[in-house]
Amino acid sequence: MNRLELKELIANAKARKENGKHKIFVCCGTSCMASDSETVLKVLQEEIKNLGLENEVEAALSGCMGLCNQGPLVKVMPDNTMYQKITCDTIKEVVQGQFINKEPIRKLLLFADTRPEPFINAEEDPFFKNQKKVILKDCGSINPEDIMDYMAHDGYSAFEKVLFQMSPEEVIGEIKHSGLRGRGGAGYPAGLKWESVYRHVNDQKYVICNGDEGDPGAFMNRSVLEGNPHSVLEGMLIAGYAIGANKGYAYIRGEYRLAVKRFETAIKQARQKGLIGNNILGTSFSFNVEVRIGAGAFVCGEETALIASIEGKRGTPSPRPPYPAEAGLWGKPTLINNVETLSNIHQIILNGGEWFSNIGTARSAGTKVFALAGKIKYSGLIEVPMGTSLKEVVFDIGGGIPNDGEFKAAQTGGPSGGCIPVEHLDAKLDYESLASLGSIMGSGGLIVMDKQTDMVDVARFFMEFCMDESCGKCVPCRVGTKMMHDLILKIYEGNGTKNDLDRLEELAAYVKETSLCGLGGSAPNPLLSTLRYFRNEYEEKLKQHKHVSHEHN
Amino acid sequence: MNTIKVTINNTSYDVPANASILEVCKQVGVEILTMCHLKGITDIGACRLCLVEVEGVNKLLPSCTTKVVPNMIIYTETEKLKRYQRITTELFFAERNHMCAVCVANGQCELQELGYKVGLDAIRYPHLFPQCEVDTSHPWYVIDHNRCIMCTRCVRVCNEVEGAHNWDVMGRGHQVRIISDFNTPWGESITCTSCGKCLHACPTGAIWPKAIVQGQLNKNPGMITELVEKRCMKL
Repeated sequence: MNRLELKELIANAKARKENGKHKIFVCCGTSCMASDSETVLKVLQEEIKNLGLENEVEAALSGCMGLCNQGPLVKVMPDNTMYQKITCDTIKEVVQGQFINKEPIRKLLLFADTRPEPFINAEEDPFFKNQKKVILKDCGSINPEDIMDYMAHDGYSAFEKVLFQMSPEEVIGEIKHSGLRGRGGAGYPAGLKWESVYRHVNDQKYVICNGDEGDPGAFMNRSVLEGNPHSVLEGMLIAGYAIGANKGYAYIRGEYRLAVKRFETAIKQARQKGLIGNNILGTSFSFNVEVRIGAGAFVCGEETALIASIEGKRGTPSPRPPYPAEAGLWGKPTLINNVETLSNIHQIILNGGEWFSNIGTARSAGTKVFALAGKIKYSGLIEVPMGTSLKEVVFDIGGGIPNDGEFKAAQTGGPSGGCIPVEHLDAKLDYESLASLGSIMGSGGLIVMDKQTDMVDVARFFMEFCMDESCGKCVPCRVGTKMMHDLILKIYEGNGTKNDLDRLEELAAYVKETSLCGLGGSAPNPLLSTLRYFRNEYEEKLKQHKHVSHEHN
Repeated sequence: MNTIKVTINNTSYDVPANASILEVCKQVGVEILTMCHLKGITDIGACRLCLVEVEGVNKLLPSCTTKVVPNMIIYTETEKLKRYQRITTELFFAERNHMCAVCVANGQCELQELGYKVGLDAIRYPHLFPQCEVDTSHPWYVIDHNRCIMCTRCVRVCNEVEGAHNWDVMGRGHQVRIISDFNTPWGESITCTSCGKCLHACPTGAIWPKAIVQGQLNKNPGMITELVEKRCMKL
């Protein structure tokens, strides 16, 4: 295929999309599939046939629509009418209502059971209205297993643009201008990372997509890979062109079978269309992509451990410097970006860095996807501009605490992050604000806790996670997390003393500063942040100890 | 040879470029505590004893894997580093079962020596006392996991110097173990050449020859270094 043929293909795809038909999408993300959305889709397709609606309605599967606990979800386009908890029986009602009687089925509408007046256009619902979708723009409204559907939504137009109209320096300049920062957690400016790999002269360079999402309760990357895999692939292609790499690896968590399957399908389709391979679209640019499946180690999300794992070695981190930009995969300059970072790229190229930098705050540009979970009315996958306040997310989007409960704290950044207590409810969700409160942005887990939550138990849970997931290479993380876990457990169970708390704080500072990689370096964060805001809860438990020992004496 | 200027503990030195901070310190006579380092095999920066402070860098750097750069200002004996070295030593002792009095390596043990160096008179953390295996299946040697500190010097020397790769690591976190082949008894290993290099590389009394008792271990880790240096000689 050459450039003209690609343009024609994209134009055809767009024309096909504008055929005037109603589109009805059934969410086939992991969660909806677990409640049998695939059968719902089959029944739907049969029903359309039976009623002779083939010329008016088209049914397809889509990726995650964001409200996983309301699944299976069904969305009718272009009206944006969403239905929840659809079964093989109720889907027939939906078809009958939507396309025969031309009247939406109110009792099945999204939030019909929780809102007095559910919205017919779901976009008007506060859950969606208060979001801004960039990364998830097409997630849930396109078929992730069809490259043509992606092209109909401007897919691969950005790649075509960089390949024929932009030099690698211009691409990097655009990314730098956008202010995009790494979405894996650390928030390093993506443009600077790209530039440093670009500057290392080498015949062989690599692009790695980090899809080893592992924080408990976080599924942002999974949904992007399942819902719009081509956007990640296009990001990898553009990155490869910009830094001068000809090979990419997508390292995807082993538990994400559907994400792996969809991404592999995307690679296959892109290869068939000549968008991956040698001399792409007749240019001198060649790029091949392979999937590598993680084997279930949290630490392999750390870039040097991930690289070791791709090389076939035991997934353990190694000291930096040298950074992967200088000596990464097989010792070659390597760019490693998170799924979410890469899925922003094609839109930055199409709309310009300026457009992107105007979203969010001055230092944290763009949007961020969060997995909203815990004690909250409407949990799910949400996307908001950086700098949105925690209050807006919890109350405007999430609908607050269920059963008139009281908000206590929210944990961001999972086991590497910290909690934000009620007095900081107005805190802005951006890199700097979260850091100043002793938490981190992390990859996007956001767990809401109510008054019933025991904060010592929260610290114990995350420390247990870090202890189990420590690779065992360096002493502070291997032994330190075990010691800290045992001490927190002792205090939690009411057997702790003041001396135990002192030892705990001493170890926390030690493990944080001396660990080899970010896993150990951030493992004490949940402990330190609960101590910072809820020290009284620890002290309460210490008092319990005195009480018990008196009884025994 | 290219030399560069660096400052170590407020004294300026001319040192070879492209060397590690550890090599440079050794050369100019500044002592740095180490455990997973053994000259001749790849450094991995795992024990965290050799951490140093470098001006302008906001994290502690392992001196074994960090190269010196011109005008680097290095501190090796700050209060913080000393405190952390002490904690690391305590954690080494608390992790498994180190009983010097009944150990073959008594008086020959790098961990024991480290304890003296940091002035360890008590361990303030609870001992974990894990139940560890003692593998006596090899006809000549024994590996006692109770005394292993997971420095992985045996793993690296077996892989890099002997080229056998009998040893590797299994498991995660505090449950990591050194394994022979795919976790088969050492005596049944099909890769072990019984060369004994791991005995010399081991800093403690975890690997030792069967014929000895308490305090009789006679080992020479320098032998590994010497062997590697001789191999690299230009003939």
